[in-house]
Amino acid sequence: MRSPRTLEVWRLGTVNYLKSLKIQDKLVSERKAHQIPDTLLSLEHPPTYTLGKRRTDHNLLIPQSELTKIGAELHYTQRGGDITFHGPHQAILYPIISLRSIGFGARNYVETLERSMIEFASMYGVKARPGNKCETGVWVGDRKIGAIGVRITSGITCHGLAFNIDPDLKYFEHIVPCGIADKEVTSLRRETDALLPSEEVIHKQLITCLANAFSYDDVVWKEDPSVILDTKDVE
Amino acid sequence: MALRLLWASRVASHLRISVAQRGFASAVLKDLKYADSHEWVKIEGNKATFGITDHAQDHLGDVVYVELPELGHSVSQGKSFGAVESVKATSDINSPVSGTVVEVNKELTESPGLVNSSPYEQGWIVKVELSDAGEAEKLMDSDKYSKFCEEEDAKH
Repeated sequence: MRSPRTLEVWRLGTVNYLKSLKIQDKLVSERKAHQIPDTLLSLEHPPTYTLGKRRTDHNLLIPQSELTKIGAELHYTQRGGDITFHGPHQAILYPIISLRSIGFGARNYVETLERSMIEFASMYGVKARPGNKCETGVWVGDRKIGAIGVRITSGITCHGLAFNIDPDLKYFEHIVPCGIADKEVTSLRRETDALLPSEEVIHKQLITCLANAFSYDDVVWKEDPSVILDTKDVE
Repeated sequence: MALRLLWASRVASHLRISVAQRGFASAVLKDLKYADSHEWVKIEGNKATFGITDHAQDHLGDVVYVELPELGHSVSQGKSFGAVESVKATSDINSPVSGTVVEVNKELTESPGLVNSSPYEQGWIVKVELSDAGEAEKLMDSDKYSKFCEEEDAKH
């Protein structure tokens, strides 16, 4: 009989990208040292382009000098995956979880992230599907609605998924999203006529889909984000 | 020795085809030593060759990129020395032994998929000169590693 598994959830609002990396680094160390249980960060970023470990900056279609003009930052990261955009009205989840505790490898983990997003989309009558080979992510037809980029160190995950609720899709025109040309990017707003509830409700639904997909017994909703945002190690 | 490895690779390929989704019985080779982070190592005198196991490559998915260390780089047992990317995930690879990198498998730059198709042979990653041959005692033999994999897979 296995012991019950708990997921602690922090809803952080809009967080600068670099700050979110520092928060994740700290949580990964704490998770590795068994000081915290599996933890999930739910947040949004201001307009930000990010690259993965392979540094595929040829997929950024405008000069880096133009980025400030459009109000966006660019960051290089150690996650998997290609170039992507994060911005307001895109729901981001960063699970900091121990894959070894559940005997998962990268493939199972990513597939479960995909299932979480597909389940969430279905709540609004949107039929999404996982990507084909080499197209990890979540698609509605040939249009990408959810992206994944993950890093696993010592069996602990960081980075995660980004689901388009209603972001300004024009930002995606400045990149070859995820390195896949000729495929559109879409959003929940575009794919459904359903009345969308508040973003707070939407984020909670997405989090719940993830918690179910990973079979957590218990979800603890942390109330005070300043605990994580204002720690002295993170500026 | 080489013939047995060839046979084991064929067994591994066969297993991959016949055991699709559940309870994957990955190939484990008798002459190698194994770390609990799923790397294998072959020790020959003061030199060691290592890579990731069949269990590891199956759990990773299709490898699209391998980050190799520099020649002369020091590696430490249990510490990360590089990474692989698969399914939009970068995963650390840990060194099963301590030593100095004397050769890296440059084939993996053009053909990272060798890690999946031939994890114990053509998909080898690094060769080192050992700094502490005694460290190999801390690793698992093939029987222990097989059991370890079964226990891990039973967790979900």
